[in-house]
Amino acid sequence: MIHQIEIKNVTFQYPGGMQPVLNDVSLTVEKGEFVAIMGGNGSGKSTLCKLLNGLIPHYYVGDYSGSVRVNGLATEETSVAELSHSVGYVYQDFDNQLVRARVLEDASFAPLNFGYADYKERGKKALEQVGLVGRDDEFIWQLSGGQKHLLALAGAISLNPDILIMDEPVAQLDPYHAKEVYDVLKMLNETYGKTIIVIEHHTEFIADYCDQVVLINEGKVEWKKPTQDALRLVDQLMTMQIYPPQVTQAAYKVGRLLRGNSVTNPLFESTKPYPVTLSEAMEFFSEQQSEEEPTEITQEPKVMEKEPIVEMEQVYFSYKTITRSKKTILKDINLTLNRGDRIALVGNNGAGKSSLMRLLTGLVKPEQGTVTVDGLNTNKFSPEKMADLVTYIYQNPEEMFIEDSVRKDVEFFLKARKVPGYKERVDQVLEQFNLTDLEDRDSRLMSGGQQRRASLAIGVAMNPKIILLDEPTANLDIATRKHITKLITSLKNYVEAVFIATHDMQLVAEWANRIIVLKDGEVLHDGDRESVFTNAALLKLAGLHPPQIMELSRGLQIEPISYTVDDFVNSYSQILGEENKDGVYS
Amino acid sequence: MEYTRKLTDKLSVEQAKIELLNTAYGNDQTFLAKLDPRTLFIWYLFFGLAPWFIHNDTVLIGLFAFMVLTTIMAKVSPLIIFILCLGLLGQGGYLLIAALFFGGGISTIMPLVMLTLKLSIISLASITVFCSMDPEKLSDGLLKIGVPGQVAFSISYGYRMLPSLLEEYHHIFLSFRLRGKAPEKHGFLYIRSIIYFIKIAMLSFYPLLLSTAKRSRTTVEALETKGSFYAFNNPKVKAIKLAHLIYGPRDYIFLALSLTYVISLFGLTRFY
Amino acid sequence: MNQIKERYVLTRSQKMMVFILSMSLYGLSNMITELVPSIYLGPIEFSIEYFAFIPLTLAMLFHPLYAAIGASLGEVIFGEIMLGQFGGFGELEKFIAFSLAIYIAGSMVRNPKNLRQVGFAAITGVIIHQFISMMVDIGKVWIGVEELEAVPGLAESIVVVEGFAFLNDILFSGILFALLPTLYLVPRLYGKIEPLLGMKPRDNTMRFTTKEIVTPRLVIGGVILALLAFLFEFLSETDFNVEWEADFVETFGAGFVWVSISVAAIIAILTVILMIMNKNKSKHTNGPTDKRNIG
Repeated sequence: MIHQIEIKNVTFQYPGGMQPVLNDVSLTVEKGEFVAIMGGNGSGKSTLCKLLNGLIPHYYVGDYSGSVRVNGLATEETSVAELSHSVGYVYQDFDNQLVRARVLEDASFAPLNFGYADYKERGKKALEQVGLVGRDDEFIWQLSGGQKHLLALAGAISLNPDILIMDEPVAQLDPYHAKEVYDVLKMLNETYGKTIIVIEHHTEFIADYCDQVVLINEGKVEWKKPTQDALRLVDQLMTMQIYPPQVTQAAYKVGRLLRGNSVTNPLFESTKPYPVTLSEAMEFFSEQQSEEEPTEITQEPKVMEKEPIVEMEQVYFSYKTITRSKKTILKDINLTLNRGDRIALVGNNGAGKSSLMRLLTGLVKPEQGTVTVDGLNTNKFSPEKMADLVTYIYQNPEEMFIEDSVRKDVEFFLKARKVPGYKERVDQVLEQFNLTDLEDRDSRLMSGGQQRRASLAIGVAMNPKIILLDEPTANLDIATRKHITKLITSLKNYVEAVFIATHDMQLVAEWANRIIVLKDGEVLHDGDRESVFTNAALLKLAGLHPPQIMELSRGLQIEPISYTVDDFVNSYSQILGEENKDGVYS
Repeated sequence: MEYTRKLTDKLSVEQAKIELLNTAYGNDQTFLAKLDPRTLFIWYLFFGLAPWFIHNDTVLIGLFAFMVLTTIMAKVSPLIIFILCLGLLGQGGYLLIAALFFGGGISTIMPLVMLTLKLSIISLASITVFCSMDPEKLSDGLLKIGVPGQVAFSISYGYRMLPSLLEEYHHIFLSFRLRGKAPEKHGFLYIRSIIYFIKIAMLSFYPLLLSTAKRSRTTVEALETKGSFYAFNNPKVKAIKLAHLIYGPRDYIFLALSLTYVISLFGLTRFY
Repeated sequence: MNQIKERYVLTRSQKMMVFILSMSLYGLSNMITELVPSIYLGPIEFSIEYFAFIPLTLAMLFHPLYAAIGASLGEVIFGEIMLGQFGGFGELEKFIAFSLAIYIAGSMVRNPKNLRQVGFAAITGVIIHQFISMMVDIGKVWIGVEELEAVPGLAESIVVVEGFAFLNDILFSGILFALLPTLYLVPRLYGKIEPLLGMKPRDNTMRFTTKEIVTPRLVIGGVILALLAFLFEFLSETDFNVEWEADFVETFGAGFVWVSISVAAIIAILTVILMIMNKNKSKHTNGPTDKRNIG
């Protein structure tokens, strides 16, 4: 049988690289498969994919050996342009892959370049396939991130390739748009029979959409397995810092706990495989339905006296659009933020989260109303003055890096102000964020997680009263995300209030003591996590996607709702334990 | 000096971005924007060159009025006009000072006004033409008259990247401002503040150089896979791409009307 | 492995990256410097004329030619076309002079870590550019020699003023916006920015000998380019003699207006004809290509 993709004993080393990125890699992919490629940072995932569209060895002239055949074509002998009829590629930084000014132009760019007279129709067809219609003449900068991603996808399939590669579709998108992109991929796979290859570490998406998983480690292909089997190898994945879906982890942990406690339970004695999707988990865990008595919700003790640090009164904000008309972003916002608040600001893209935060920095001024930060009205003070009180940490850490080393970046603020003894302070901050070894590196050349740490360190070194974080966990793999979440939790020791705008509901659930839900520029809800995550109607209205484990515990009607896998394991094993005591299963 | 400071305050990056984007894209619904690029090139060829050779006040004023009209028709952004005025005033003023310095008198003022008038006509003509062509149109037009494909691509790409680049530059600039410290005193003629801002403006390019380098790598890879290099100077691709450039009645009408106006202007001079 | 052991050679795509990088960044900087108003103190101009350090840096780190052309094109696109200040023929002179200057400056640097070399090249680049500009400006006035002599001493003062402006540009813009920032950036970026583009840093053992830089081709090319630059500038600014224009009109009478109008009209008509001819020609050449592609 001829495989659609056949990689044989490929070894590749980038020019100037110290060691091979791919080391004797062999892999086959059949037509119509939906494959996920998993692996840690620097394991060679992207390099592997660039073998398929010929960028390696034609574009990256490195040390190359082995052979790759795609659709029967040997990539060494076929040009990149020719291969693009067989392979479409969507980059992780897809924004930079859009090169024309308008939507349809960009989608039909490749067909035009290859001289198809019907290039516009081809572009249109591709746009229809990805569901980006009615925007043909819009400019790329008018599109949202999700739409840009779809456009990059449309551009990649405009030549109707059989194979589509997508590098980390979820990384740059909020959960809603990520799902949208995956639905499109699924449709392309099922309806048009395209082979889809995604580089992905969000195993919950893999479980829902992919049918094969390839694990890469240190430039070698460990294995290729059907998704169900692959995701159940919890031990192996966890040692590589890859986290299986939360429900799988939960089943694994419950099982281990029970075995450890030598509690016998038919559920876990059987060879019944771990669930990998939510629906499987519902079935898996609900085989024993119990009449557990709801435990009392233990509320965090309320802070006795609230000291306001930020006050927003009747704040309106709008900006001028390209057509010189005004677009209202925030309407009649009245908020008081108090000392000790750990606030998560949630809501869909375009709900006004970033604008609200920028108002606090004084970089933008409200159109109406007042914003007072620690007694200072932002209307009356310059952003420089406000910077002494409020630090804003950009979503893209690279925008925080203005110097050529981590240390210089961290000390910039203190040095500019000639703060006495700043060196010791910087040492301390670097230590705290685990950056001491990296202090001479250029921040831009570090990994995503390291960059994020550096941006937090820069913020903390400024010694603000309030720290604002814009999507601090976006674009990180789950292991790094957990680490950053820990660091964020430690922030409360240095500042009086932390304010985070995020889509990461896991972070919200684990960290926030107050959640503000924004929708269309208005505050939809302001309360603690119970009030948000138990309110299904609110979640739906605001377009929020709670973590899988929360959905599971809600589906199983476990109370209180579990916010983390460990919560769930505890509650669940308690229930099981109680039932065992009652002799139900003995 | 006070006024320059106020002006620079008004000229915030945000405002500039909006205005520039407007110049680039905001005007695609005007009459002029619907003309064929070649029509606009021909029109510009005349109105951008002819004023140099015209020395008749009446004609120049007439042409100027016409240019003002076309500029209004083109819905040019106010910022552009403002920059133009600033430039013209500066240049006129400089020449006047130089001329006075080298022994000219009041008599030099009139030729200078004439010069400024000419410069205005020419500038307004180019503003009218180039603001009425969105990037694609301009690059199509240039491609049509034989400019290499890379240039046409670069224009379109420039417009594509401008918003992102400006935004990024702005962010970096803000990072400098928020983390740095502006001089406590503005200094003589705001000299300290000016130096401070210029320094930031330059330093901001260091981070931008690195991040743009990262971007351009993906971009060029994408260009490679999209077959752009193959297409840049391929006549077949060019023909397909430019198939939509057709002269319409409005092109002829526009050229005819302009011609009639110019001829009648010169006709008018006979009576004066 | 062979390729990377060879002398510093860039692939087509890498050249394109350098080009795009130079174009977008210098273009952006140009847009910014265009927007900042300049201050005049009489004939002395204190303005941020250009951030020449950007293309200079890139030309020294990467391929000089692509950095140079990219920068010039960036200036035209961002700084002129997008701001609605596109000046027609005059832009060509700037384009050529600037490209040439940056190219030569970039070629002069053998080892980007050698600060003396970098600084020397940066200031040389500025001098070349400003020198060409100055010569064009002076030459322009010299051509209109009859009018010039009508005003005694004007010729000398033009040279003095232009020469002064030249020195002013070199000492002000040259040092502040070319020399110092280039000295700051080149060593910082060397070895750091190249891997981002997937290239090896320019080999510091690479040597352009004087012979290699000053090839006959470069000399001849330079002379031709300088001449062309001058020609274009002259074409676009034949107006410079406004002050003496009044008697010009007197001499030739109002009839001259018609002559000049006809000249402009003829140019326009010629262009149209050329375009139509081109169109027909391309139709002819397209025919067979189409067939070949189909067949």
